[in-house]
Amino acid sequence: MAGNENSGGNRPTAPQNNPANISATGGAGQSGTQPARYISGMPYGQGQELMAQQTSAPMSGAPEGPIFGKQLGSLLDPTNNPSEPVTAGVDMGPGPGSDILPKNISADTRLDENKMVVQKYLPTLLQAANLPDTPDSYKRFINYLLEQQ
Amino acid sequence: MSRVAWLPGSLFDNVDKFANSLGYQNAAIAIELAMQSWESPEDRNAFIYAITGDNIQGGTESKYPIRNLGR
Repeated sequence: MAGNENSGGNRPTAPQNNPANISATGGAGQSGTQPARYISGMPYGQGQELMAQQTSAPMSGAPEGPIFGKQLGSLLDPTNNPSEPVTAGVDMGPGPGSDILPKNISADTRLDENKMVVQKYLPTLLQAANLPDTPDSYKRFINYLLEQQ
Repeated sequence: MSRVAWLPGSLFDNVDKFANSLGYQNAAIAIELAMQSWESPEDRNAFIYAITGDNIQGGTESKYPIRNLGR
């Protein structure tokens, strides 16, 4: 067979395969799509067929940003979903109620949480219940916590 | 011993406003929210108003007027 035995195929040492030569934007231009790539070593005719498939329609580019969710912000950060009411998923205020929540997170665990918080903070909260200016509403709440013990 | 006063915007005041606005059944989340470092009582009240859609409850004594944010 004539010709250089190294000709054709994907050459790992070629400039386009050097990672240092790939641009920060992915090297696929500014179209947001990925280029067609010839895959060698396939049975006769299939490589050409695959190439034709790749060039028949633009292929979507790599997604921007982290795939597995965005980094959680703090409680006071602006919302990432301004069209959704902050009370969505809660049975009060605007938006859908708790019936939209998955079943595994809609269990009411408030009583258990309340008991844990009462045990942890009640001694501190009790200190303010006897101040002369303490509002009755605060005293009523402390009495409620005392009943929960 | 110095006299301890009930101050608007203090932890205890925050507990009072959150617990009475969110309901006693939400005591745990009310206390956790009360421990956040709110910039001011007005900032805290605006947050309560945003999540309840109602005026702030608790601490109705004349010394501590509740700002009616209105609709």
